[in-house]
Amino acid sequence: MLNDVAFGQFYPVGSFAHSLDPRTKLLALTAFIVLLFVADNFLSLAACALVLIAAIIASKAPFGRLIRALKGILFLLAFTAVLNIFLHGGEVLLFSWKFIRIYREGLVFTGYLILRLFFLVTASTLLTLTTSPQDLTAGLESLLKPLTYIKFPVHALALIMSIALRFIPTLIDETNRIIAAQKARGADFESGNLFKRIKAMIPILIPLLVSAFRRAEELGDAMDARCYTGSGKRTRYKKLVLGWRDIIAALLFAALIAGVVLLNIYCFSIVPAAAAWIKPV
Amino acid sequence: MAQDNVIECKNVRFTYPGQETAALCGVTFSVARGEFLSVIGHNGSGKSTLARLLNGLLEADEGKISVFGMDVSEGKNAQEIRKRVGIVFQNPDNQAVASIVEDDVAFGPENIGIEREEIGKRIEWALAAVGMEKFRRATPSRLSGGQKQRIAVAGVLAVKPEVLILDESTAMLDPKGRREVIDVVRRLNREEGMTIVLITHFMEEALLADRTIVLNRGEIVLSGTPEEIFENGDALETFNLCLPEISGIAARLREGGLAVEGSLDPAKLAEQIYAEFSRKGIKSARLDLTPPPKAEAAREWDVDIRDLTYTYSVKSPFAAQALKGVDLHIGEGEFFGIIGHTGSGKSTLIQHLNALIKLPQAEKKYRKKKVKKGVPPPVMPSIRVGRFDLTDKKTDFSALRASVGMVFQYPEYQLFAETVAKDVAFGLKNFSRGLSEEETKAAVKRSLGMVGLDYDEVAEKSPFDLSGGQKRRVAIAGVIVTKPEILVLDEPAAGLDPKGKKEIMELLHKLHREWCKTVVIVSHDMDEVAENCTRAAVLSDGKIYACDAPARLFGKGEELLSLGLDVPITLKIASRLGELGISLTGCCTSRAFSDGILALYRGEEDA
Repeated sequence: MLNDVAFGQFYPVGSFAHSLDPRTKLLALTAFIVLLFVADNFLSLAACALVLIAAIIASKAPFGRLIRALKGILFLLAFTAVLNIFLHGGEVLLFSWKFIRIYREGLVFTGYLILRLFFLVTASTLLTLTTSPQDLTAGLESLLKPLTYIKFPVHALALIMSIALRFIPTLIDETNRIIAAQKARGADFESGNLFKRIKAMIPILIPLLVSAFRRAEELGDAMDARCYTGSGKRTRYKKLVLGWRDIIAALLFAALIAGVVLLNIYCFSIVPAAAAWIKPV
Repeated sequence: MAQDNVIECKNVRFTYPGQETAALCGVTFSVARGEFLSVIGHNGSGKSTLARLLNGLLEADEGKISVFGMDVSEGKNAQEIRKRVGIVFQNPDNQAVASIVEDDVAFGPENIGIEREEIGKRIEWALAAVGMEKFRRATPSRLSGGQKQRIAVAGVLAVKPEVLILDESTAMLDPKGRREVIDVVRRLNREEGMTIVLITHFMEEALLADRTIVLNRGEIVLSGTPEEIFENGDALETFNLCLPEISGIAARLREGGLAVEGSLDPAKLAEQIYAEFSRKGIKSARLDLTPPPKAEAAREWDVDIRDLTYTYSVKSPFAAQALKGVDLHIGEGEFFGIIGHTGSGKSTLIQHLNALIKLPQAEKKYRKKKVKKGVPPPVMPSIRVGRFDLTDKKTDFSALRASVGMVFQYPEYQLFAETVAKDVAFGLKNFSRGLSEEETKAAVKRSLGMVGLDYDEVAEKSPFDLSGGQKRRVAIAGVIVTKPEILVLDEPAAGLDPKGKKEIMELLHKLHREWCKTVVIVSHDMDEVAENCTRAAVLSDGKIYACDAPARLFGKGEELLSLGLDVPITLKIASRLGELGISLTGCCTSRAFSDGILALYRGEEDA
């Protein structure tokens, strides 16, 4: 029953973002990440934020899930912030005590960095919330297709991912069964020191491994029997189709790219007063 | 006619690398176009090897196999042969490659380079052929075993084979799933003219075929129509197979003087019995052997479950209530059966018996909620097992688990230690620390002896080197080594051949007599419950539907069928007899049933 929860992050509801082609979403995410680091002033970053907010609204993503993903990197954020604030050099000294010196540039730089990481994680979470692992695999396979020309086994990679995804719930069920069976024979996984606990895992891991091999062998036979040869000469049933939504998303991103580039150039003619404070190093 | 044979095997031999005995030693047979052939044989008789040889997954050491005139041993034919001969394997979980049904069904056609649009059509056709068209976008891991297996059949059908081989494809399914798959196969044979090779160890399935061959130790020992094969009762016994229960009933009736020919079809046997009755001028008769209900209040309950509810993944979108208020009482010394199809909540129920799933009150963090005025306090479940109160946090749960032995489904899959002796000793060492080496060894020896294994022979072997049946015995020994008072077994006979099943049930009776006071089995084999249990409970949709002695429980034949359960064979005969005017109720074991029929027969004679 654990398999219901553990199956990735995918949040199965219907929304604009859900019905986008996975390739669109993958490319958009890549573009977005690049733009985050290209944006060098608060206006272009605000443009990114606007697009992100639009994406969140278009995805019907539950707010709690996004927050939970951010919690995961809270420590990382705090750590980077502290390091940057104290170690970043600059011209305008704001605070100084013994060896600690905080510069204005340091604060601004840290602010930008945190916002960028914050946006990056939110955007990636949005992708996994709105795209099933199967669609992600299909999207990746399609995007990586050019690599087949340099003999990279894109198809095999996609099949491996697909099979792995398929077997996750099966193996989780199996693990639960084995744990229950060994517990019934008095196995104790909760007490003792680290070494003891690792040792207690053996009665779970060995049967699991044996079973995984048995399953792999049977699956191999079943695949062979269904005419799988491992050669790349096969057709694909699943076809990703771009729709009007993808065009809208593409236009939005084109606008964002143009916006960020223009704002990068003209920001300080729009808000000249901000120049002194805001332009990071 | 040779051209009409789609498969021809001549003197085929095969030995697995590293093994001494041959898996197949000189097998010769052929399969005609459009034929429905069933292959039966004990575990390890070479049935599965045969299936794998037929489409080149294995290569024969000697002899010749030709499929549609092509030699299987020539590599260039492999792809063409696999296109025309499809195999469905045993485990429904190990055949799918994708997480979405239609993607999985598409796998075969993709491999042979079918165009996209045609694949779409084939998916539609194949899913319709197995009656799963509504599940095109479903996830296999959420389907039942029977549904998964039908998807596997669809995945093979999508390649459009002319021959379909089923390699024990029903062995891991419950009766409902089995019926679903078999119905599909029969329809394919009748309506699409598909050639079927059905490898099975369910005799009821084998007899649906046009022709049956019997394998024993790698040789074909019998071949003929199912009727011819099953007439040969004694021979089948020597080949480690058992006659279906119905043949035993017919034999017993013949001994008692009823000249029935015997049939594998319960309705036909009923008609034969009726013919005998009418030959004697008996047109109608009535006998009710239903035992009177016992005064239950007077009994001391060994297991007492009240108001048990359980919900998985509470507060998530996937929350599922597995148990919806179960009351169950099992008396000391009973051989108790729990019946229910997959998903009825039986695994959840038995995991409560030794607190693998603890009651909420027994959890450390549990606090009693304050009762609001005007709102009745929630009903809390309670379980008592022997001297253990499972609602109490302070209960010694380790001692509880030592005295409630739990044998899960396919227990051989939990074996892990380097030697059999160490594996069996695992539970003992966990529960009673500080036992000396000698004491441990003595206990291991006793429990191995109890399950019918010779300590000196197997103790130092790796459990992974044993045969399937032996592994299961070792796994059972590893549970009974603590000498539990109650032994709970989930589908103890699942996946075994008829003889293996019989032996396991005999073993359980022996354990019940000499080792554990109370035995509880979970089963969906109605004959097994009817023949063995003192009482049984039917679990359906998280509730106890009925709980009674089998003779009275199975009186509700029709209702059980509507729950997706089977009924014992005796009931099927009795039901047809009832329609004809001979009413015999209240007996469900084959012995009681044939005695009842004979009593009716003679009773009239005396009068």
